[in-house]
Amino acid sequence: MAESVTTAPEQALAGGVLASPRMRKGLTVVGAILAVIVVWEGAIALLDLPEYKLPHILTILQAFVEPTPKGPVYQLLLRDALYTGFEAVAGFAIGGVLGFLLAVLFIHSPLLERGLLPYVIASQTVPIIAVAPMVVVGMGQLGAPPWLSKAIIAAYLTFFPVTINVLRGFVSVERDALNLMRSYAATKAQIFFKLRLPASVPYLFTALKISATASVIGAIIGELPVGSTRGLGVQIVYGSQFNTFNPGFLWATIIAASLLGMAFYGAVSLAERFLVRWRHP
Amino acid sequence: MTNPASSTPIIEIQGVHKVFGSGPDRVVALQDVNLTVHAGEFVSIVGPSGCGKSTLLRLISDLLQATQGEIRVNGKTPHQARLDRDYGFVFQAPTLYEWRTVHRNVRLPLEVMQVDRSQWRERVTKMLSMVGLDDFHNHYPWQLSGGMQQRVSIARALVFEPPMLLMDEPFGALDEFTRENMNLELLRIWEQTGKTIVFVTHSIPEAVFLSNRVVVMSPRPGRIASIVPIDLPYPRTFETRESERYFELMTEVRETLKEEFTKAV
Repeated sequence: MAESVTTAPEQALAGGVLASPRMRKGLTVVGAILAVIVVWEGAIALLDLPEYKLPHILTILQAFVEPTPKGPVYQLLLRDALYTGFEAVAGFAIGGVLGFLLAVLFIHSPLLERGLLPYVIASQTVPIIAVAPMVVVGMGQLGAPPWLSKAIIAAYLTFFPVTINVLRGFVSVERDALNLMRSYAATKAQIFFKLRLPASVPYLFTALKISATASVIGAIIGELPVGSTRGLGVQIVYGSQFNTFNPGFLWATIIAASLLGMAFYGAVSLAERFLVRWRHP
Repeated sequence: MTNPASSTPIIEIQGVHKVFGSGPDRVVALQDVNLTVHAGEFVSIVGPSGCGKSTLLRLISDLLQATQGEIRVNGKTPHQARLDRDYGFVFQAPTLYEWRTVHRNVRLPLEVMQVDRSQWRERVTKMLSMVGLDDFHNHYPWQLSGGMQQRVSIARALVFEPPMLLMDEPFGALDEFTRENMNLELLRIWEQTGKTIVFVTHSIPEAVFLSNRVVVMSPRPGRIASIVPIDLPYPRTFETRESERYFELMTEVRETLKEEFTKAV
């Protein structure tokens, strides 16, 4: 912060207001939004697309404020986004802990790693969209609360990046950093808690950022099967069924879903900046 | 203090061989190495890269194990000496933990060795003061220069008060000016603490300037070619580097290395 305070006037002198980094960043964002609008509306005009294929941006914005019996659409979507967000966070937590524990298991037992890692990888090649209904229906029959099955699907997508990245973090430790611990006759537990674990934290956050967005997708996929009553997934299904009559609504749900994913990603990034302060900026 | 070394052996190496790999990949890193280091002595090991000098240091510290021969450290096996925390090791890279501040890096061995918590602050402060880093307790490693990082590493190696300091080319990555300053610092610390120091380097001037004795090694397979006693008086200063005797001794070491090199070719 202090740095930008001292350098800002110099830069303003050297290259005008445009040279200030904050200003440039703001202009980039505005430019990007403008570019999307131009391409979007340009495509509609050039290819003569009907509303049900690609609605005008204004139609989408209007869809947000459309009244429904339960209040305006944005209120509806906010409620559903919060519910989906809750499922995603629950799944993120379950998957994060599970993924981390798997990495701990693997670093301490190469035999288990060789034996189990192929299955872990195989688990991610299974099309989740095919498995999700089975999980939702199966768990429903077992009497689990509806949010739990969605959280499990979110966890399924969350744990893998965590396992792989944390494992990489554990082995990223330099040989002499390890030799230093050996020269102190450190115990295995000390080596883990004082060396491998802190060394893996930046890797963990890389994984958590991937997992944050993946867990939102997982929760939404879990809400798609028939029988779900709440969440953005339900609204997306509803939106695509009635897209011909109400073309803006589907896109409103899509925007809501991506905003949710971005918010989650942002929260994890913020936590990283707070917790990983030792890094060279 | 002209020569603080005693006649009590603290490291004894007898008939040590070290072989890496087997079959066609077999490399004899050390062949029939014999060396005794006395308590309080400053011994340097010089030689070209690949002569096994780092390997020898790692055998003493039990980070590697000898294929053949016997090593006694403080009258014990290297393994026992490591378990008893008889030495502090300084690596070529400072090997600081980047997530710890300078203070907490120096504190690390105290935590691992479960030294009484009430002593931590005082001991770390004393060490950082000794290496001239009083004002850097709360800095992170990346905020320090290479020379300062290596000072932290030395403070960390000494904070648990081991009788021996094993140093593996600790100043190899530093520029000449910083290195010469660090040499003076190290001698001051040595004279202040009375530790036994085994110092691996590929710099002849550095070895001669610092040591009681310089062990000259020859490469492939690594053997001790000769041991040159350095009779320059302590405390050694900038003037020492300009003395005639200093140059004579450097020439002696260099000649030995040259002879060995000619033999090898």
